Amino acid sequence: MTSKKPSRLGFLVNPIVRENAVLILMIGLCPVLATSTSARDALGMSAAASFVLIFSNVVVALVRKFVQPTIRIPIFIIIISTFVTIIDYVLQAYQPSLYQVLGVFVPLIVVNCIILGRAEAFAYGHGVFDSFLDGLGNSLGFTLVLVVLGSLREFFAVGTVFGYVVTPAWYRSAPMLFMIFPPGAFLLIGILKALVAKFKLDKR
Amino acid sequence: MNSRTWMVVSLLITCLVAAFALSQVYSVTKPKIEQQKADATRSALSQALPAAQTFKEVEQDSLWYGLDAAGAKVGIVVRSGARGYGGPVPVLIALDLTGRISGIKVEDLKETPGLGLKAREDWFARQFLGLDSTVSLKKEAGTIDAISGATITSRAAASGVAQTIRKYSEHLKP
Repeated sequence: MTSKKPSRLGFLVNPIVRENAVLILMIGLCPVLATSTSARDALGMSAAASFVLIFSNVVVALVRKFVQPTIRIPIFIIIISTFVTIIDYVLQAYQPSLYQVLGVFVPLIVVNCIILGRAEAFAYGHGVFDSFLDGLGNSLGFTLVLVVLGSLREFFAVGTVFGYVVTPAWYRSAPMLFMIFPPGAFLLIGILKALVAKFKLDKR
Repeated sequence: MNSRTWMVVSLLITCLVAAFALSQVYSVTKPKIEQQKADATRSALSQALPAAQTFKEVEQDSLWYGLDAAGAKVGIVVRSGARGYGGPVPVLIALDLTGRISGIKVEDLKETPGLGLKAREDWFARQFLGLDSTVSLKKEAGTIDAISGATITSRAAASGVAQTIRKYSEHLKP
């Protein structure tokens, strides 16, 4: 896979695996570790963060010509936090059960490094459509890691995936409970990172 | 406009647009959010005290009188929130007029999944039925089986329930 010249397809596809924000760049780890205790929570968190990431990328690209470099960070943060507040209200109003599960991690999307990182590193220097593709690609990459990690942790610690029973009863009576705690998350993200290195998924 | 002025003006415009957008979203979602909260409380109340037809809120978010169709008091519902392992352990307790627990519902819990979170399961709540303010864990000479590996959560639930019942016992008069 050699793409010296950045292509539109590359904007979308590269962040999914080869430039995955979590696994390759190791940013945005905090929400990934915190909200991956079950597959369903992971998916809910990914959806909320993806909404914010895509829209903030698009809006930053829209206004970038008017934003001076000296005050770009405050303006990015205002844009991001506006979308976070919107998704916070919308979840409370229409998805209260999901909102209860995600709790404090919804407002914390504001400080998700991936979102500010993409605004700063990509959307500030690219057009609206390209920024949309980049936001979508990064969202898919974030979702992929979060859901894989959430499914694995739920599988090992509870014996279910997305709430469906997938292990025999003897396993569920004495599961590997520690997988649901922070050490389990660190262990699994380390294993995922090792697999990435082993199969050289990060090589251009 | 020089660049320094534009810096201030552009930040101001951004804030104004953001504030306007948020006020719009807020006014659309606010009634919905309040509706959801009222619905959640309402359904939790009638689950805890099915005998009551209507509920009268006496203390905000912590004490309700359950009234039957004729308006007579059939019991009270109180909310306790003793500190658990990951925050308060909110429990809705329905008491009949003799001070015994007739219904109990563990509400949105932030305990450890797989351990303390099991306090939401039926078998745990059912142990409280019929008991009064003397409720405590087996370890403490009571009758409640603690959740294995989650003693703090179990104790918070039991002692919170006992304290709350004592606190509101005067409201049990018909």
